[in-house]
Amino acid sequence: MADLPDIDFTLEFPYTRTTGPVIGPFLTGLRDGRILGTRVGDQVICPPVEYDPDSGATVGPENLVEVGPVGTVDAWTWVAEPTSKHPLDTPFAFAQIKLDGADTTMLHAVDAGSIDAMSTGMRVVVRFNEDRVGSVTDVHFVPGEEAAAPSPVDADEDVEIMEHLIGVRIQEPLQPHRQRFLQGLLQKKIIGQRSPADGKVHVPSRGYDAINRVPMSDADDVEVEGRGTVTSFTEITPIQYHGQTETEPYIRCSILLDGADSTIGGVDVRHIPIDEFRVGMRLEVVWRDDISFDDADNRGYGLNEGVYERWESTGEPDVDPELVKEHNF
Amino acid sequence: MARPCAVVGIGQTKYKRQLPVTLDGLVREAALNALEDANLTFDDVDAVVIGKAPDALEGVIMPELSLAHALGAVGKPIHRVHTAGSVGASTAISAAVLVESGRYDTVLTVTYEKQSEGNATWALSGGRSGGQGAGGTFAPWIREYIRRSNAPEHIGWTVAVKDRLNALKNPHAHLHLEDISIEKVKESPMLWDPLHFLESCPSSDGAAAMVLTSEDKVQRSPNPPAWVLAHAKRTEFSSFPGRDTIRIKAGLDCAEALYKKAGITNPRKQIDAAELYVPFSWYEPMWLEGHLIAEEGEGWKMTDEGATALDGDFPVNCSGGVLSSNPIGASGMIRCLEAANQVRGTAGDYQVDGAKVALGHAYGGAAQYFAMWIVSSELQPEFT
Repeated sequence: MADLPDIDFTLEFPYTRTTGPVIGPFLTGLRDGRILGTRVGDQVICPPVEYDPDSGATVGPENLVEVGPVGTVDAWTWVAEPTSKHPLDTPFAFAQIKLDGADTTMLHAVDAGSIDAMSTGMRVVVRFNEDRVGSVTDVHFVPGEEAAAPSPVDADEDVEIMEHLIGVRIQEPLQPHRQRFLQGLLQKKIIGQRSPADGKVHVPSRGYDAINRVPMSDADDVEVEGRGTVTSFTEITPIQYHGQTETEPYIRCSILLDGADSTIGGVDVRHIPIDEFRVGMRLEVVWRDDISFDDADNRGYGLNEGVYERWESTGEPDVDPELVKEHNF
Repeated sequence: MARPCAVVGIGQTKYKRQLPVTLDGLVREAALNALEDANLTFDDVDAVVIGKAPDALEGVIMPELSLAHALGAVGKPIHRVHTAGSVGASTAISAAVLVESGRYDTVLTVTYEKQSEGNATWALSGGRSGGQGAGGTFAPWIREYIRRSNAPEHIGWTVAVKDRLNALKNPHAHLHLEDISIEKVKESPMLWDPLHFLESCPSSDGAAAMVLTSEDKVQRSPNPPAWVLAHAKRTEFSSFPGRDTIRIKAGLDCAEALYKKAGITNPRKQIDAAELYVPFSWYEPMWLEGHLIAEEGEGWKMTDEGATALDGDFPVNCSGGVLSSNPIGASGMIRCLEAANQVRGTAGDYQVDGAKVALGHAYGGAAQYFAMWIVSSELQPEFT
């Protein structure tokens, strides 16, 4: 059987950032077509800061001064293959730019067309985008010294909060024990690992016995049953955070599978009414006919949700909760 | 041999939503308040120790770097601590260790969270749909505690009301629920059976700070010191075969080590006030047992009998606790500094009369990280 593909997961969330008394006016300035720095002692710092980096003293908005629009590249690096998170979608330079009137550099994008057009000490000038919202990406820089008047923007509210979608794409190979566990699921088998130290069976395994601090290999793989005892459960009322697709209350439970010493957790059970759900009840998995999943990971606690249709009662009498009390997570 | 360390300054922000204030402004306010209390300035600080819960909560990665300006820390050592929800107390302990070790004389320590800038449940769900959040993780363990101890259902409601009434005496507290009552708690929506909405902590913004200093520098500060008698941290894995999530080994071990170091042989009698990390009501009796203050199965009786009320024999969370303010990264430090407030006599309207020895406590993760400290008005109190 072919190996399952690497994990490819994008983690992202829109944060709402308070801009405060200094960064707020700086962003408002970008929207309105000017770049502000702040006077701290005999220096002008741009982008401006709320606190003096040397003394820690408060630097109020009254110290803001306009700088630029032309500046000098102090250092730079070429971005040959921009991603969707970069400020420009064609190759560009990230540069430390010392704007005229400022004593410190600001990191920003220079649209130079070609790496050959970039050099340390070159002069660059700001370009204000057509649509500006009060964000550092409202502008970029181009080679030259010729300023261009910013287009007017129909907004007069100060920028006090900015929404900021932060994202990271995570790509990693499945660890070997995880690969075998997930391959097992595709064949309707649940593969655990028996610790060579104490004989306890871990499902899903981490690939090592964390308590006895011993690694486990494919020689320690054992198959366990697709049936077991509910050791713990919660009814979740979903919070509508970014990326949440659940809308109705649902159960997550932990199940101690027969033949295992650790539980599978976070198991999604939707076909048993909440008022009938209880610790000690006996359940078995009903596999899907067409098992597949596209959200494999290295951190799973349960079975992958793409493999089972539902869990249903085995019809056996309940297990005394006292007997499973050390298996509730 | 460790040298003595004392809390000489305490600073807090208000813990309600802080929309006009940046993260920088938030930590700075708490830091300046602590320095003012200690009658010191940034110039007197040798090192800074900062703590917060996961970076994903606000999306600012390695904030200890960007916050250095606001904390007067440029050119000084700055340390970052992260131990999930217990981080506030772990950070206090790390700061104390830096003084006790002799490495630095005066350490400023600051913790914070600004929940209004992100979404904690998203972050704790790893950014994936269908997460269960903190309450969803703890609720089954609470039900298991109730099953084992036969505690009546009103215990959770009692804690929820007691802590909110205490919060009315604390100007920093996020929630000031003037009309809180048992009826209101049990009629509030059920979030995770058996936890009602009003048995759960709020989402708060805020920062908490302390100035810790060595014995020879204590005299510089005018207000009474709180001596750090002992501290302890313990950790265990979130899930392993045979883990007891109710009577947690790491929690028992942590408490045992703590009391031994402090010379405490009877915590219930020898500790005058405790600030326990209780984000969900039932964790009051669970930690009373889980940290060896009550016998197994007896913790809820202390709550029921009023022993944990402000006028009880073992007052718990006189400040209103996590149930009234939860800026996550700061919440553990607030427990530590409120314990210090009690023994310094600076707890205002929620002062326990004559408190000499107090406990600050936090836990985190899947109830797997523990950090606790004992502070006293005396460097070498006599325990009888």
